[in-house]
Amino acid sequence: MKLSVLTLVVWALVLMLPQPAAALTVTDQTGRRIELPRPPARIISLVPSVTEILFTIGAQGRLVGRTDFCDYPVEARRKPSVGGMLAPNLEGIVALRPDLVVATTAGNRHETFDQLARLNIPVFLVNPITVADVMDVFDRLGRLTERTEAADRTVAAMRERIDAVTARVEGRPRSRVLYVLWPDPLIVPGRGALVSELIALAGGDSVTADGAQDYPRYSVEAALARNPEVIILASHGSERSPLVRAKWERFGQVPAIAAGRLYTMDGNLMHRYGPRMVDGLERLARFIHPEAFDKAAVQR
Amino acid sequence: MSASGPVSAGRLAAVLLGLGLVVALVSLGALFLGSASVPPADVLAVLAGRVKGVDQVVVLSLRLPRILAALLAGGALAVAGAAFQALARNPLAEPSILGVSSGAAFGVIVAQVFGLGGGIVEALGLAACAFAGAVVAGLAVYLIAARAGGLPIQTLLLAGVIMSLFFSSAITVVISVIDFDRLGGVVHWLLGNLGPIAPGSLAVFAAVTVIGFWLVLRPARQLNLLALGEESAQQLGVDAEALKRRIFAGAALLTSATVAFVGPIGFVGLIVPQSLRMLLGSDNRVVIPAAMLGGGAFLLLADTLARNVIAPAELSVGVITAFCGTPFFIYLLRARTGEPRL
Amino acid sequence: MTALVECQHVGFAYAASGAGRSFAIRDLSFEVPLGETFGVIGPNASGKTTLVRLLSKVLEPSAGRVLLGGKDLAGLSRAAVARQIAIVPQDVPRGFPHTVEELVLMGRFPRAPGRFFENARDRIAARHAMETVGVMDLRAALLDRLSGGERQRVMLARALAQEPTLLVLDEPTAHLDLRYQAECAGLLRRLGRDAGLTIVLVSHDLGFAAELSDRLLLMADGAAVRVGSPETVIDEAVLESAYGCRVIVDKHPVSRRPTVHLIYPRA
Repeated sequence: MKLSVLTLVVWALVLMLPQPAAALTVTDQTGRRIELPRPPARIISLVPSVTEILFTIGAQGRLVGRTDFCDYPVEARRKPSVGGMLAPNLEGIVALRPDLVVATTAGNRHETFDQLARLNIPVFLVNPITVADVMDVFDRLGRLTERTEAADRTVAAMRERIDAVTARVEGRPRSRVLYVLWPDPLIVPGRGALVSELIALAGGDSVTADGAQDYPRYSVEAALARNPEVIILASHGSERSPLVRAKWERFGQVPAIAAGRLYTMDGNLMHRYGPRMVDGLERLARFIHPEAFDKAAVQR
Repeated sequence: MSASGPVSAGRLAAVLLGLGLVVALVSLGALFLGSASVPPADVLAVLAGRVKGVDQVVVLSLRLPRILAALLAGGALAVAGAAFQALARNPLAEPSILGVSSGAAFGVIVAQVFGLGGGIVEALGLAACAFAGAVVAGLAVYLIAARAGGLPIQTLLLAGVIMSLFFSSAITVVISVIDFDRLGGVVHWLLGNLGPIAPGSLAVFAAVTVIGFWLVLRPARQLNLLALGEESAQQLGVDAEALKRRIFAGAALLTSATVAFVGPIGFVGLIVPQSLRMLLGSDNRVVIPAAMLGGGAFLLLADTLARNVIAPAELSVGVITAFCGTPFFIYLLRARTGEPRL
Repeated sequence: MTALVECQHVGFAYAASGAGRSFAIRDLSFEVPLGETFGVIGPNASGKTTLVRLLSKVLEPSAGRVLLGGKDLAGLSRAAVARQIAIVPQDVPRGFPHTVEELVLMGRFPRAPGRFFENARDRIAARHAMETVGVMDLRAALLDRLSGGERQRVMLARALAQEPTLLVLDEPTAHLDLRYQAECAGLLRRLGRDAGLTIVLVSHDLGFAAELSDRLLLMADGAAVRVGSPETVIDEAVLESAYGCRVIVDKHPVSRRPTVHLIYPRA
């Protein structure tokens, strides 16, 4: 009798003892379960957006490798690069001895994931489609790198700014917006593109939001036939913007051109889903509803 | 031409030994070079099993499978090229001219677009689709070119060019409608890339290559006789029709296996056999086995260059072979209008 | 059986193109005894080339049989036929990438089709053949570099390397100038007389055929017009009806063999 009570007590005590660092099981954004022996301390990011997020939440100490395209913030360039997103250098990756690689299904290749799997390097996949997904990425990365507080703070701040934007544009007539991701061939955001939701939040209706693919290809005719009231050209760091603008300005009959509402903006703000996404959103809102903001210069 | 007397088993052995040495040296060089600098002494230590850890992963799991893939693919492409050139009696007959490469490439791209390409099992499925595409193209070429009782070489080449054009156009159609996200991956694959392949796939690749090689090598003596013209060869007892079918099958098998496992890589089948003929003479009993080794060494060299010249980024190996191949192609074209030689 | 080759009512038609089949050879019958030099003459499209193809089993007769040493060719494999019958074609394709010795060795293929490399016996036979025709000093040369006459002799050497019982020559003087024609005639005489080889000589050169042949076959429109000694076959009336032009037959001043002179139309 006494023995069984004693056994129970002993077991209870044992169970209450702090466990040794248990195996960590996480699920990535595609639903795959990844088992890690401990929280990752040597992360390689194959996604520029993820690199930005890691710096924002203060987890850059755990970042040991990046791609050539991971150029923001400036400090990121000091981390060793493993090459491009399509064909990262496997030897380079292995030499950095990572315990986790963060990648995306939209930009990296499946062969890369397979090869890393065969080398027993865990791969954590992200692929945010909506703004909610983006917040989710912050959340997961925060938990992975034990920076949940910083992540939560950042997410909260971002939500505030997003709410501020939606409040400003609420009730105003929604403008028809044509967003040009790439001019030639004409690539526009469709249903699965993050930009489409950002446009909606900024008080616009993307004229191509019904496109079945994430980034369908349109003919210029088809795009202009939808009578956009605002046209936004994404620039990707090239000097061709004046030429591209000139091409579009020819279409004088289109409402957007007639009203002079052809704008250019930095593509990185719109397509990287890091912290700068809200910068992009605010810029978008100013273009679509300039009257809702103070007379701060609207960049042309 | 430096043929000293007719070919014999001894001469073949000497050639293979020499080329084998070249392959060994190039392989060793490829093992030593890479973006993760591993000193040669450490590489040897890994091979001897004495060192574990990162270096072992780099050398055994990354570099070694890639080297094996390059040797297999280069050899297969060179042998296929040699076979077709002997068959067509034309040094410009390259496996990709047959349309087989394009058919295989189309098969892969369609599979990728429809979602294959995830796990390892799916990767084998991808290879199977490439095979299917290659076989379809090869059969179509054969059916177009075959006449009652014959397979005229000129029509075969023309049919191959037409098939190539057709599949290239089909690929362009797919590229122009697929999702922007996928575009990069597909275009990247089209350039041909030697990454480390899974051991299972590598074994399948090796087995298929051996079969194709045997199909082409065993009747090498008859293939020599084909240079006399089909009729003269038949008058000497060669079954020309059966020979042509067998060589076509072997070369198509070699080409489609390569495309399936490493993507389309051009010009190897053009450069290597012709260079070997200039050194060793045109006897196929020497050229074909030599191509197996020489092609491997050539592609491995090209790949090692592609891997290291702008490290840490990588060039596609198809870029290097195209850079070498285009001037070579022009040279061949010009040489043909002068002194005739195969 | 003294006849080495025998054609019994042989007929052949190429595949149909247009209306009906055109017969290249109709009801051809003749025989060639062992050791004879047998000439085949006739205008273009008379079926001479088709006959060569039938003898080498490149084509199979649509009617009748071709017998070799009493055996139907249809029952023999191509290699078995090649061991007995050697064809010397008109020419080699352009851009032939092999040396003389390699080419002559190709003639050894039918002896052992399954073997990958030639053996010592093959090399000896090849050398013997090259010596017979006198091309030993050219053995390492590329075929493309040789003159017409030299190439002719090399092709003959390849045929001899097959160690055949029957040698068939298809238009042997087609590309040769006078000197090489004389050389060729001398060589063939030696082979026929000294080596006892049976020779079938297909030629458009009537004088050459008449000079060398023991008997002649004149073909026209796929049928045999006349078979017999050169004097019998080379007859003005016969030739005029076969060739459709006027000729005068004379005797060669030295050999007393028939020669043919064409009567050129005036204006």
